[in-house]
Amino acid sequence: MTEIKHHAYLFDATRCIDCRACMVACSVENNIAMDKTRIWVAGVGIKGTYPDLQRGTMVYHCMHCEHPDCMSACPVGAYTKADDGPVTYNPDLCIGCRYCMNACPFGVPHFDYDKGIIDGAFIDKCTFCPQRIYNGQEPACVQTCPTDALEYGDRDELIAKAHERIAAHPDRYIDHVYGEFENGGTSYLIISHIPFSELGLPNLPETPVNEVSEKVMEMTIPFALGWGAVLSGVAAGVGLYNKKQEEKAAVAEKAEAVK
Amino acid sequence: MKLNLTIQPRFRLNFSPLVWVLLTLMGIAFIVAMMRYTFGIGAISDLSYSYPWGFWISFDLFTGVVISSGGFLMAGSVYILGIKEFQPLLRPSVLTASLGYLMVAIALLVDLGQPLRIWYMMIHWNHTSVLLEIGICVMTYLTVLAIEFAPVVLERFPKLHQIAHLIHKYIMPFVILGVVLSTLHQSSLGSLLLIQPTKLHPLWWTPILPIMFFVSAISVGLAMIILESSLSSRYFQRGLETRLLEKLAKALPIVLGIYALLKFGELAVAGDLGYLFTSGTMSILFWAEILIGVVTPIVWFSIKKNRTSPNALLTGAIIVLLGMILNRFNVSWFAVKHPDPLFYMPTFMSNVDYFPTLPEVSVSIGIFAAGILAFGLLAKYFPVFEDEHHAA
Repeated sequence: MTEIKHHAYLFDATRCIDCRACMVACSVENNIAMDKTRIWVAGVGIKGTYPDLQRGTMVYHCMHCEHPDCMSACPVGAYTKADDGPVTYNPDLCIGCRYCMNACPFGVPHFDYDKGIIDGAFIDKCTFCPQRIYNGQEPACVQTCPTDALEYGDRDELIAKAHERIAAHPDRYIDHVYGEFENGGTSYLIISHIPFSELGLPNLPETPVNEVSEKVMEMTIPFALGWGAVLSGVAAGVGLYNKKQEEKAAVAEKAEAVK
Repeated sequence: MKLNLTIQPRFRLNFSPLVWVLLTLMGIAFIVAMMRYTFGIGAISDLSYSYPWGFWISFDLFTGVVISSGGFLMAGSVYILGIKEFQPLLRPSVLTASLGYLMVAIALLVDLGQPLRIWYMMIHWNHTSVLLEIGICVMTYLTVLAIEFAPVVLERFPKLHQIAHLIHKYIMPFVILGVVLSTLHQSSLGSLLLIQPTKLHPLWWTPILPIMFFVSAISVGLAMIILESSLSSRYFQRGLETRLLEKLAKALPIVLGIYALLKFGELAVAGDLGYLFTSGTMSILFWAEILIGVVTPIVWFSIKKNRTSPNALLTGAIIVLLGMILNRFNVSWFAVKHPDPLFYMPTFMSNVDYFPTLPEVSVSIGIFAAGILAFGLLAKYFPVFEDEHHAA
C-alpha cells in the first residue's frame, strides 16, 4: 500500500447494498454493542414512481471534518484533529456537557444516556480505527464492505477518483463530491445517484460552521480588557466628580457659617 | 420541692405551609437526581442523540443566568456610576444573583455526564470554546458575588466587622471585575449558539447574538429587581422603594427599544424579514416573544401611571420576564432543528420530538424551590434589606 498523507473514506451510495456488514465489523473491532456502533446505515427507501424507481442507502459515521466543530466547541479540549485526518475523542478529559453534539452539523457524537456516574457517561464516535490504519490496514468497515461501497485512501487521491468515476458515468451520478468543500472539507467523501439532501445530509456552506463563534472568541480577551479599562475610567471619573462636589458643598457650608 | 417533669420542647419544627411545599419539591428533585446518577440521564429525561440539550439547558442555564443579571446592574450603578440612591436595592439584587448562579451550578451538576469533573474547566482550556468562557466567567463571578455579599453576613457578627469594613474599602476592583465577567458571559450565552448556523432558525441566528443577549439581559435584570423588590415587600411586610423602581421602569422602554431596533435592523440587513410571516410556528413564536417581551412592556412602562403603582410595576416586570424567557427557550430549544432523523440509529435514542419528562422538570423546580427558600432564610436572618445605615 502506498503511503497515505491524509486518511479519508469515500462512500459510493450507488454501490451500497444495505447489508450492514460494516456495522457488524465496527461492533466487533471496537468491542461495542450493536445498538451503539459508531457507523450506521440508514435505508432511505424507494424513491420515484414505477418504472423509474431508485433505492437509496446512506452509510454514515463521523465525517472527520478538516475544521471540526466538535473540537472547536469542546470546553476542555477532549477532541483532537490529527494532521493526517482523523478526529479523535479523549474520554479522560470529557465532562459530558454534550456541546459537541449540538455543534456537530451532522449530529455525529452520541452519548451514553443509559450510564450513571459510576460507569461514567461518555461521548462515542468513529475513531478512524487508528489501531488498524497506522499498521497498514484499512478501517474495519472498509475492509469488510463486500461491494467496495466504502473505500479508504489518501484524501486527494480519493477526490480525484470520485471525480473520475462521476465523469465516466455521468448518467449514474450527481456531479458533486459531498465533503470536498462542505463545512470546510471533510475526510468522509460521498458520491450519490440521488440528491444528498435525500440521503439526510445537511446543506452546508463551504466555510466551517464554527467560523463566527471562533472569531467572537478571538475578540473576547481584548474586549474584556478594554471594557475593564473603560469601567475603571468611569468609576475614577465619577468618584473624582463626587469628591469635588462634596468639597464645594463643604466650602459653601463654611462660607455660610462665616456669614 | 416539686420537680417539674414536663418535657420542654427544645426543637420544634414550625414551618409555614409555603416552606413545606418548597421542602417537598426539593425532596422530589433530590430523589430524581439520585435516580439520574444511578441509572443515567436517559432514565429520567427525554434527551436523545437528536436533542442533547433540552429543558435543563433552556430553563436552568439560559433562564437562570439571565434572571441573575440584576446583581451586576445594581453593583455597577451604585459603585461605578455612583448612583448611591440605589443602595437599598443593591443587597437583594446581589443575593438574587448569587443564588441564581448557585442554582445554575447545581443544575449543571445534574445535566453534565461527568459532574465530578466540572472543575476540569479550570485546568484544561480549549480557547475556541464559548462554553469554556461561560464556565470560567460563571465560576469566577460566583466568587466575586460571594465577596460582594460577604459584608451582609459578616455584619451579623460583631467580631467580624473589621473584615466587612475591609471588603467595603476595597470593593471597587471586584465590582469592575464582576461587571466585566457579567458582560462576557451574558453575551456569551448568545455566542454559544453561533456554532449552529445550520440548526438555529434564521429569525434567531445572527452574528450579533451576543449583543442581543447582553441588551436583553439588561432588560431582564431591571425587571427582576422590580419583581423581587415587589415580592419581598409583600412577603416580609416592608416598604417598597417605589420611587427607585419608577426610575428602573423608566429605563426599560429605552433598553427594549434598543433591543427591538437591533433585532429588526439585523433581520433587515441579513434579508431575513421574509421569515417573519412565512415560517409557520417559528413566526408565531417570534411574534409572541416580541409582542410579550418588547412591545407590550414598552407601551406599559411609557404610561406614567403604571410606573408609580406597585401593582402595575409588578405586572409590567412579569410581562418583560415572560417574553424574554420565551426568547431564551426559543433560541436554545424551540427554534433549534437538529439534522435529519435519517441520520440517527433507528433503534436507539433517536426520538426526534423532544418533550421534557415530568422528572426532568421536577429537578429544575426543586432547585428553584431551594433558591426561594435560601433567599427567604437569608433575608430573614441577615441584614439584606436594612443596610441604609451601613452605606459605604
